[in-house]
Amino acid sequence: MTLLRNLGRRKLRTGLTIAGITIGIWALVVFSSMANKINSLVEGGSEYYGDKIVVTDASGGGFSTLPVSIDSVVAIQGIDGVDVAIPQVAFVADADATISFGPPEQVVGGVAGADEGREGFELRASQGRLLTADDEGENVVVMGADVARSRAATLGGDLVIRGRTFQVVGILEPTLTAPDSSIFMPFDIAQSMLHEQLPPIISDQVSATEIASQIVVYPDAGADIPAVATAIEAAVPNSSTLTGAEFDEVIGSTTAIFSAIITGVALISLMVGGLSVINTMAMSVAERTREIGIKRAIGAGRRRIVRELMLEAGVIGFIGGLIGLGLGALVVVLANEAGRSGGTILFELTPSTSLFAVGFATVLGIVAGVIPAWHAARMDPVAALRYE
Amino acid sequence: MALLEARDLRKTYRLSRTNVIEALRGVDITIEPGEMVAIMGPSGSGKSTLMHILGLLHTPDPAVPGESPAPTLLIDGRDMATLGDGARTRIRASEMGFVFQSFNLVPTLTALENVALAGDYAGMSGAQARAAAAAALDLVGMGDRASHRPSELSGGEQQRAAIARALINKPRLIMADEPTGNLDSQRAAEVLALMRQFNREQGQTFVLVTHDAEVGAACDRIIRMRDGLIVGDERVDSSLAA
Repeated sequence: MTLLRNLGRRKLRTGLTIAGITIGIWALVVFSSMANKINSLVEGGSEYYGDKIVVTDASGGGFSTLPVSIDSVVAIQGIDGVDVAIPQVAFVADADATISFGPPEQVVGGVAGADEGREGFELRASQGRLLTADDEGENVVVMGADVARSRAATLGGDLVIRGRTFQVVGILEPTLTAPDSSIFMPFDIAQSMLHEQLPPIISDQVSATEIASQIVVYPDAGADIPAVATAIEAAVPNSSTLTGAEFDEVIGSTTAIFSAIITGVALISLMVGGLSVINTMAMSVAERTREIGIKRAIGAGRRRIVRELMLEAGVIGFIGGLIGLGLGALVVVLANEAGRSGGTILFELTPSTSLFAVGFATVLGIVAGVIPAWHAARMDPVAALRYE
Repeated sequence: MALLEARDLRKTYRLSRTNVIEALRGVDITIEPGEMVAIMGPSGSGKSTLMHILGLLHTPDPAVPGESPAPTLLIDGRDMATLGDGARTRIRASEMGFVFQSFNLVPTLTALENVALAGDYAGMSGAQARAAAAAALDLVGMGDRASHRPSELSGGEQQRAAIARALINKPRLIMADEPTGNLDSQRAAEVLALMRQFNREQGQTFVLVTHDAEVGAACDRIIRMRDGLIVGDERVDSSLAA
């Protein structure tokens, strides 16, 4: 009570300090939520690539969109250490897709069940059903949670992709990673759509049934994955492989740097907030010199004075942290609501981020209060009493 | 045994290399339990310094070999001269009361909370301290003003609240630094009478620093100081005391 009264008698200064902490924590919450989302995308990818090898065409350089030949599947199947190899088609859903933050909406085509149960990343339908092998040849799709929302798809309704009309037979549960923005369709339909996208000079030479975007290889249990990948690259001309470990290395390190920058920005703003707590508490100590002298004279020990002032600083930090978390959560919710219609969920505010933000603000306040509090406790009570 | 016994108290303040103030130049003083003693003298005579040392707010200078002996400061026979800040603070909290010229109440706290604070520092629980504070305020006739802040109280009322704060732990020794200095003569007389009453009824020992002759005349004994030394120590004729 006394503590709140002490804070209350310097409303403006306390308010400004709390605002400083609030902004820092707000930045921390928003940026951390962004980092969380990126991390969970990466984790999803890491899980997806986990124990498999993805083979793509490398003839056009590293960023080839040229298809791989379906014949390669047979060649890969014969390599030692390969359990199952299945062709897949993947392409961007919109022909004129602009670059957006977050994963683009993607069409994924594969023969349902071809993986022979090797895929560890399990998808579940929240409405309707998943694709089956019987869907081959049918214009049907199953949609990820985010893309279904962004395209206002309803179960049993129609969906037009690149001029072709599909029936929506299922909508997936959210996975918080790539499948949320993916549209799944039968393999042969996807093949013919991929074929239509190829430049005529290539499409004239191959038929739709001969091509795929990539070949997903599930190695035998215990197989030496890098060795299998090398063998595939040797066996299939112009092929490039990506293993789970490579994915983690490439993507993981990039996003780690990104996360570090984001966290750094938030921490710098918190440092500024912390300095303003030090300033407020130092001013508060100077203002209350006499009061501290009285308390010391009538028997308050140094520790007691330190505790009192540090607690005050901690409450400033705590209140700032709570407000910052509230505003940060508001931004996250609003931005996600706005992004949802575009299928882009940018933020993920986790309970641990929330706890960390408020805890950090409180600790920051307490730590910032240490120096002024200790200074106050060291004052000569008699000199403090004479202070005007 | 004397309640307070001090010998060879010296205190030198070095304000700069050339400006050295010898506030106390070797003071011996003994105060018996139940006495009400006035320390009088002109400004700069060292009377406040002496009270700060007797009240354990400051420490006397240590011995300087060949120049001055080690100081002695005994309260109830216990040596205080070498105690650290923590131990001195605990004794101030539980065995002493302080009354100041400018009242020195905490401005954000009510009279009751101000008084309870001293109980709290002496180790009482919150409820105990509040009950004791209410009782102490009743004793000084401030029971109906307990919930007022210092800014809502007159000078005389503030000083009575401060006396209640000094009394809450029932200390044997109360130090008062110019307790009537900021009060008009009527309020001053009331406050003085209040201290005299506690001295007579509870046997509490009072040490008052003052330069008001009327305050001195109301005490049992007047110690006179000049230039950092005691220059007079006389009993007040009790037939003249109020």
